[in-house]
Amino acid sequence: MRTALIVAALAVLLALPSVMKPYYVTLVLPALAYAIALLGFNLLFGYAGLLSFGHALFVAIGAYGAAVLSSRMGVKSFEVILLVSAAAAVSAAIPVALLAVRYVKIFFGILTLAFSMLFHSFLFKFYDLTGGDTGIRVLRPSLLGRDFASLDKTAFLVGPFYYYCVALLVVLGFLMWRLVHSPFGLHLVASRENRRKSEYLGVRVRFIRLIAFAISAFYGAVGGVILAINTGQADPELAYWTHSGELVFMTVLGGFASFMGPLVGAFTFVFLKSELMGATQYWRFWLGAILLAIVVLFPRGLVGLGQELWARARKQ
Amino acid sequence: MTAFFDILIGGVFHAAVLFLVAAGLQLVFGVQKIVNLACGSFYALGAYFGISAVNWAIAAGMPPALFLPVLVASGLVVGMIGPAIEVLLLTVYERDEAFQLLLTFALVLMFQDILRFFWGANPQQLGDLVMSYGKVAVGAVQVPTYNVLVIGASIAIAAGLGAFLKRTRFGRILRATAENREMALALGVNVRWIYASVFTLGTMLGTVGGALVVPTAAASLDMPVELVVEAFAVVVIGGLGSMRGALAGALIVGLMRAAAISWYAELEILSIYVVVIAVLVFRPAGLFGKPAE
Amino acid sequence: MSALIETLDVRKAYGEFVALDGVSLAIAEGEIVSIVGPNGAGKTTLVNLLTGLAAPTSGSVRFKGEDIAGVGPVVLARRGMARAFQLVHVFPSLTVAQTIAVAVVSRTGKAMSLLAAIGSDAAVNARVREVAEIFGLERKLHTQSRFLSQGEKKLLDIASAFALAPEVILLDEPTSGVSSADKHGLMRNVIDSARKAGVKSIILVEHDMDLVAEYSSRIVALQSGRVLADRAPADFFADPQIVAAIVGKRVGRLAKDAH
Repeated sequence: MRTALIVAALAVLLALPSVMKPYYVTLVLPALAYAIALLGFNLLFGYAGLLSFGHALFVAIGAYGAAVLSSRMGVKSFEVILLVSAAAAVSAAIPVALLAVRYVKIFFGILTLAFSMLFHSFLFKFYDLTGGDTGIRVLRPSLLGRDFASLDKTAFLVGPFYYYCVALLVVLGFLMWRLVHSPFGLHLVASRENRRKSEYLGVRVRFIRLIAFAISAFYGAVGGVILAINTGQADPELAYWTHSGELVFMTVLGGFASFMGPLVGAFTFVFLKSELMGATQYWRFWLGAILLAIVVLFPRGLVGLGQELWARARKQ
Repeated sequence: MTAFFDILIGGVFHAAVLFLVAAGLQLVFGVQKIVNLACGSFYALGAYFGISAVNWAIAAGMPPALFLPVLVASGLVVGMIGPAIEVLLLTVYERDEAFQLLLTFALVLMFQDILRFFWGANPQQLGDLVMSYGKVAVGAVQVPTYNVLVIGASIAIAAGLGAFLKRTRFGRILRATAENREMALALGVNVRWIYASVFTLGTMLGTVGGALVVPTAAASLDMPVELVVEAFAVVVIGGLGSMRGALAGALIVGLMRAAAISWYAELEILSIYVVVIAVLVFRPAGLFGKPAE
Repeated sequence: MSALIETLDVRKAYGEFVALDGVSLAIAEGEIVSIVGPNGAGKTTLVNLLTGLAAPTSGSVRFKGEDIAGVGPVVLARRGMARAFQLVHVFPSLTVAQTIAVAVVSRTGKAMSLLAAIGSDAAVNARVREVAEIFGLERKLHTQSRFLSQGEKKLLDIASAFALAPEVILLDEPTSGVSSADKHGLMRNVIDSARKAGVKSIILVEHDMDLVAEYSSRIVALQSGRVLADRAPADFFADPQIVAAIVGKRVGRLAKDAH
């Protein structure tokens, strides 16, 4: 059942550029970006039980990595940009994690918030280095060595870049799936369920949390690179704490207790936000109200709701 | 020398206001174990409502010099949304902390637009009203009297809170409930009532803080999200749950900010976060707190 | 016989309060040693030292010849010591199989396999089944721990400790919460399983003196932070002073034997 749904979704994604207007397809790109970023985020939140309220840090590092590499260092290769930005994010993750994995719950959240805000203030204030509140431009990269110079920006984005990102999502999604179903994943979940007992069973809690944190940073950065190439700009608000809040929102909207939840959440949120922004100037209010409704009424998110409805339908 | 005093008073003034918000945060965290991301929203609400209240009062014939009590009163009045919000929190008390954070984050989002709806997108301010209190000499410097009054009010509130928590029966019950909720319940304490009261008190501290700041700063839609940043810095530096921590943290953040602004503006908030992280590295509990592990 | 685990004149003080005052204890292969004593005698402190949770103020604690002062549960689990608790700890949403698998993964050093599939690992599954069968949990392999009965949770707790294939296992009041009728059955099961699983020594902390008398090869009695007696059960219960200090007046088999 699940495999059928995934295949169907994939088919839809691949068919989109051919059937929808480019405007809508360009909306799917941020959804793909967030889907990847959230896969990483939920490794920490859903599986390891650690709520980071500063995850936007890694998305921002990815974005600024793409910006600096493409517009200031003349790097054209998308692959190089991805790898270098992700490596930067992982390097940043390690000291943060070393500090943060000592703690759980609220302290972990505050610590991660502090680090992301530190980066934000650095980006915002050091105009000469970081472009201040305008940010830095992101130039179009080459994909697998090919320039696609004949395509204009939109055609590039909804064409080869789009398919590349879908492929990235599939590959990274598959890897994450293997990861959470591996012995490492089992130990991670055990550490969340009962830290003390898991230590008595030989689980190296701090170490695996560190690894999970680093992996989540990698995914966050990849998402950030895609976001930045899509908009053509890396700006400091990517690192602001409310952006981290949105990441959590998306994850919980989709359902943090399931693997697919964050993916569903990313797509739903991006479209929801876009529709609301078009419908009213008070879209933040409605987004907030939706989040409130989820927290109070549907904590298991859309996937949880779907599973429940499916279970009820099967009984009848 | 004048510059130094200016910075000092400016920093202490900022600290005084920050303390009020942080105290509200600490109270709510200490008793209910909830970190209220919407504290900045309450602060902004107090600010906007304070401006409206003063404008109405003046239009109704009140002498401008009475604006301070009006501000305080308006802060207290709008803080009465506390109980209504607390009812919402009821749904998440027993659940994972993530949901508590998310609920208050939802409130942040909603309040953003509530403020926009009632007061519009442009920053609002009280003009030169603060000057009607004149200046007072502190040492060799002339300082706006208003600032001194607010600092004094904040100190008074700090002392009052301290006495309230340590010496009154209600304060003791509060502290007992904070330590051990089950025990308090078993001893017949009406925990529901305590939670509602504490949250309202915390909210009021925030709204009054916001109201008090508007004569010297504009109320803007950025306030809710920006204040959270500073308030959290205060709370981390001082230690989660500690009132003394709120005081110490507020002073450190307020003075650092004032110093950084005048010395090297880029460093302003950055310096605060460096201190936050340093505290977390060397003294993770903050100056007066206890971390959970 | 050289000691598998031993304490050498350990002293543990918490500020002014001295919890343990010069305790030397050696446990060799093949022994089942019970630690008994009234509350406050220092049992918990001794156990914490033996399981690496705390470091002694003076003296040393050795496991297989190596000093283990304060190394912590994770390291000890990997070195071959397991501990099961009085209060039952489970992983609520993990199944019986998954819980046991956590220990098997630690034991076989597979925790850093990031991409291997745990569900289809034949070796792990075989071992999980093996351990589950020893404790009669094989029919609940795919039941989530939160749906188990209290007794089953207890068994799972001990079973997962066993899955570490430890050389020494420390059982902290393993029969507490178990009905009197089942206590002996559980103890016999645990000791037999231990032998089958290759456990070399068992340390038992128990209040139930019947069980202690029946299953220990040696009894160590603590009182006020010192070793009051360290003897085989027969000698232990033959001494009326020791019995009075530790057991108090009792009606029953022990009292009759002592007289």
